[in-house]
Amino acid sequence: MIQSFFEWLQSTSLAVVVGESWFPWVESAHVVCLALVAGTIFTVDARLIGFASRQLRFTYVSDRLLPWTWGAFIGAAITGSLMFMANATTYAANIPFRFKMVLLLLAGINMLYFQFVTFRSVNSWDAGTPAPAARLAGLLSIVLWCGVIGCGRWVGFV
Amino acid sequence: MDLHQFSEWLSSTPLSQLIQVTTWAIPGIQTIHIISLALVFASALVFSLRIAGHGLASEPLHLLAARFTRAIWWLLLLLLLSGTLLIVAEPGRTITNPVFYAKMLMLAVVIAVTLWLSAVARRQFERPSGLHVFMAAVSILLWIGIMFAGRFIAYVESN
Repeated sequence: MIQSFFEWLQSTSLAVVVGESWFPWVESAHVVCLALVAGTIFTVDARLIGFASRQLRFTYVSDRLLPWTWGAFIGAAITGSLMFMANATTYAANIPFRFKMVLLLLAGINMLYFQFVTFRSVNSWDAGTPAPAARLAGLLSIVLWCGVIGCGRWVGFV
Repeated sequence: MDLHQFSEWLSSTPLSQLIQVTTWAIPGIQTIHIISLALVFASALVFSLRIAGHGLASEPLHLLAARFTRAIWWLLLLLLLSGTLLIVAEPGRTITNPVFYAKMLMLAVVIAVTLWLSAVARRQFERPSGLHVFMAAVSILLWIGIMFAGRFIAYVESN
C-alpha cells in the first residue's frame, strides 16, 4: 500500500522533472536551508546551555533567532520532500534516511518537551544560567541535529 | 607539473590513500564541514542582521561583532582543514573543477568583506551606513553562492 504510494509519487511529473533536471539546484537550496536551521538552533542551544550569549536573556535570543529557524525549516522540508519524491522507493528503503527521520522526530519531541515542561520555569533562569533540564535539552538538541546532518550526508553514500 | 599531474600525485600520497580506504572518512569529514558551515552561516547572518539593526539588536554592535567574527574565523579554520582533507582524498573532483575555483573566489571576497565590516563594527562610535548594510547583505549572498558552488562541484565535470 505505502509502496505503491511511493511508486505513484516518483512517477508524478513533478518528481520526474526534479529527478531529471532540478536535482542539483534543489539539493543546494536544501543545504542553504539546513545550514540556517542547524546554525540558528546551535546558536540558541549555546545560550540554553549557558556557553555563549549569557549577557542576553535566553528568551530574547530565542525570540530573535527562532523565526529564522522556522522559515528555513519550511524551506528544508519543501526541498527535502522534492528530493524524496524524485527517488521515493529508494529513499524509503535507505537505512541512513530512516535514521535521519527518527532523529528528526526525536529532535521534535525534545523541543516539545522543552517548550511545554521545562520552559514553564523560564522566569527563574531566563537571565542567568538555565536550569539543568533546560541545559540538557540544549545539549540533546545539538547532538540530535548533528546526527540529522550526519545521516543526511550518509544517505548519498549507500 | 600541471594540475592533472599534481592531482594524481596528491591522490597517491599515504594520507589520501588512508582517507580513500576508510569507509566512513569522507561522509564523516563532510559532516564536520557542513556543521561548521551551518555555524559560520548563522554567525554571518546574526552579524549582518545586527549591522542592519535587526536580530540581537539589544547587544552593542562592537561587542556582538567581536564575538561573532571571532566565531567566524575559528569556524573558517575548521572549514579549511576539513575542506583540505576532502581535496586530498579526492583531488580529481576539485583541483581541475572550475566550480571549485568559483567557490574559492567567493570565499576570498566574503573574507575581505567580513574583515572590513568587522573593523567598521568594532569602532563603536561609527554607526553603520547604507553601504555597510548593503555589504552585509552581499556577504550573506556570497555565503549562499559558496554553498551552491560546494554542492555543484559534485555535478560539474572536471576539466
